[in-house]
Amino acid sequence: MQEAVAQALILLTYFSLEGWLRFRRYRIPTQRRIRAEFAALVGDERGPLLICANHLTLIDSLVIQWALAPGWRLFVRPAWFTWNLADKHNITKNVFVRILGYLGKCVPVLRKGPPEEARRTLDKVACLLSRGQSVLVFPEGRRSRVGRVDTENFTYGVGRIVQETPSARVLCVFARGLGQREYGNYPHPGETFFVRLKRCAPTTSFRGMRGDRDLSTQIVGQLSKMEQEYFENAILDR
Amino acid sequence: MDTKTAFGKIISIIKPFVKNTTAFGAATDGTRIIEDLGVNSARLVDIILAFEDEFGIEVDDESADRVRTLGDAVQMILQKTAPAL
Repeated sequence: MQEAVAQALILLTYFSLEGWLRFRRYRIPTQRRIRAEFAALVGDERGPLLICANHLTLIDSLVIQWALAPGWRLFVRPAWFTWNLADKHNITKNVFVRILGYLGKCVPVLRKGPPEEARRTLDKVACLLSRGQSVLVFPEGRRSRVGRVDTENFTYGVGRIVQETPSARVLCVFARGLGQREYGNYPHPGETFFVRLKRCAPTTSFRGMRGDRDLSTQIVGQLSKMEQEYFENAILDR
Repeated sequence: MDTKTAFGKIISIIKPFVKNTTAFGAATDGTRIIEDLGVNSARLVDIILAFEDEFGIEVDDESADRVRTLGDAVQMILQKTAPAL
C-alpha cells in the first residue's frame, strides 16, 4: 500500500523536497556525473539493490536520493526510488514528518529496541529486496558520533541483510557536506555536497552472526576508504 | 563447568564493553546486560561471539535473543557445554 501511494505521488514529493533543498541552497556540483554513474552502475539490471551510505545528518537519505536520480527517473523506474530505514523517533515527531516519511518510503526502525524488533525490521528489508526493490541503509546504525565513518562502533544489521539476500547488488555511497565537521540534524544552508559511488561485493566464509560481522566490517571499511579519498580529493569537487 | 566459573568468565568477556562500571562492580545474575551495564546493543553480538570462542559453543539467533541478563548468559553457556547424556 505504502509503495503504491508513494509511487503515485513521487513527482509531487520529489519536487517539493527538491524545492526545499534548493531553498536551503544545497548543491551537488557533480550531480550530473553522479546520476550518469549511478545509471551506469545500476543500469538495466533487475533485482535487489542495497545502497549503503555513511551517516551524519537527518537528511542524508534525501540528499542521496536527490544525487542519484531526477524525479522523472524515479517515476519511470520505481525500483530506483529507494526504501529508507529511518529512526522511528525522527519520522513520527509530527503529522507532517510522518506523512513525508510515508511518502518517502521510510521503514521505521526502533533504535535500541529489543532484538526481536531489529529482526522484524531486517525481515522487512529482506522482503523488499526479494521483490527486486532498492533499499538505502546506514551500516553504522546511527549518525556517526565521531564525525567520520565510525569503524569501531557500527551495527551488524547490514551484514545480516546481505546474508539473507545474497543476490542483492551492494552499492556504497559516500556523501558529505564540505563544511560538515561533525554529526548534526541538518547541514548548514548553502552546503555543497561531495558524493561518490562504488559497487562493493562483500563475501564471507562465515555464517550466522560471525558472517554478519564480517560482511558489515567489509562494507563499513569500504565507506571508510571512500571517506579517506574524500579528505584527499574533496577540493576537486568545488 | 560450574555456575561460578562460567559467571567469572562471562564477567571478564563483558568487561571491555561495559559503560556503567558501578553496576558492573555489583553485578549479579539478575543484572541486565544492556539496561544496567550500559552495553551497546550492537556490541551484544561481539559478546556472544566471544562466548562462542571462549566456551567452544555455537549460539543461534534465538538463543542470543534470549540473553538479557548475566544469569541468562550463564544458563545458556551451562546448557550448551553440558555433556550429552
